[in-house]
Amino acid sequence: MTLKLGRHEFPDDVTLMMAIVNRTPDSFYDKGATWAEDKAFDRVAEVVDQGAEIVDIGGIKAAPGAFIDEDEEKRRVVSFVERVRGAHPGLVISVDTWRSSVGRAVCEAGADVLNDAWGGADPALVDVAAEHDAAIVCTHTGGATPRTRPFRIEYDDVVASAIADVTAYAERAVAAGVDRRSVVIDPAHDFGKNTFHSLELTRRLDELVATGWPVLVSLSNKDFVGESLDLPVGERLTGTLAATAISALAGARIYRVHEVVETRQVVDMVSTIAGRRPPRRAIRGLA
Amino acid sequence: MRVVFVPSTLALLPAYASIDDPISDLREAVDAAVAWLLEEGPATALWGSGSAHRIAEHLLGERGGHGPGLLVVANGSATRTEKAPGHLDERAAGFDAAVGKALAEGDQAALAAIDTDLADELWAMPDADVLRKVAGRVGPVTDVHVDYDDAPYGVQYWVVRWQCGS
Repeated sequence: MTLKLGRHEFPDDVTLMMAIVNRTPDSFYDKGATWAEDKAFDRVAEVVDQGAEIVDIGGIKAAPGAFIDEDEEKRRVVSFVERVRGAHPGLVISVDTWRSSVGRAVCEAGADVLNDAWGGADPALVDVAAEHDAAIVCTHTGGATPRTRPFRIEYDDVVASAIADVTAYAERAVAAGVDRRSVVIDPAHDFGKNTFHSLELTRRLDELVATGWPVLVSLSNKDFVGESLDLPVGERLTGTLAATAISALAGARIYRVHEVVETRQVVDMVSTIAGRRPPRRAIRGLA
Repeated sequence: MRVVFVPSTLALLPAYASIDDPISDLREAVDAAVAWLLEEGPATALWGSGSAHRIAEHLLGERGGHGPGLLVVANGSATRTEKAPGHLDERAAGFDAAVGKALAEGDQAALAAIDTDLADELWAMPDADVLRKVAGRVGPVTDVHVDYDDAPYGVQYWVVRWQCGS
């Protein structure tokens, strides 16, 4: 099935890079590198050059921290979305928010995707997506409250829980009027999950792919990679790419990333090994 | 009758397609020449190896079989450069030039005289033998069109059209 992300449509065999662009002073990986709007704008141009099809703009870091109210979140992202929309008409703009009021404002400013990283915490977000013909990313958090860390959460079967929640969320979005082609699911590694949960989700990602909904994975430099290798933020690229390769083999479609070039190479290589993508240019031994 | 010569490179087969076609110019020439060949009806194929046979089947599709046309699947040497499949053999350029001249001039006697021992050393067998067998199978050549004559990967490719009398 065609993937429809707002104004943009993609055939069902393509993989997409979603580059993270933070409008925050305190996100874990870049620590505010793109807090200044011009820096964030430059970052967008850079990832577009690197081949990213999507940018995911976020105004609030996922981890606990200073309370950011709706007005401040809007100040961080709405005018920025408008500016990016004007400069990059071919780019898919996603906004990482759980709030329907923010969702509405960014859709009016030109956003194509609402990336609800907190799994439907605001039930009206799907209505906003439907009203604006935007796509929605349905994530699994195990019921976690936005911006909380997992604490002694256990699942009988984390993959079954993820599938049940994200498919229910997906159907709820469709029932609310979101185009069926515009619904993406994300098991949300590390959200409401410890490292063992995120590893199991990675290992069994094919079960999420088998639901038929396009799967987004957000693995980039996360703690499950860090804990698996005992490496701090900044030294997790290789581990991230290993998890990326496993996800690509399973058939994930969208990769939410800090490093676009490296991820694109890994995903293309794995897709080529899997026989879903031809080599770029093969002549050796054939001429 | 019409005769078309195309090379036996595996890169012509869909199973070996790339995103960026490494032989786009060649493929364009092959497709145009084969379309011309089939204008007059089905064509028979002449080939010397299993892969060349597959290429003939791919190019002729349902139009293969007995008919007025002849598709010859063969190329020249594979030893034109140091990066060629058979590495560089200094004799290859002269060999290919002579065969290319025969094709461009519709000179069947020259094709029949190809030195198969040298061809073998230049990695041009069994294709050279296929070219030799064209002589005598077709009437005198009345018109020639050379669509392609190059060795982009150290292997000599030709795409040539012959219009022959009966």
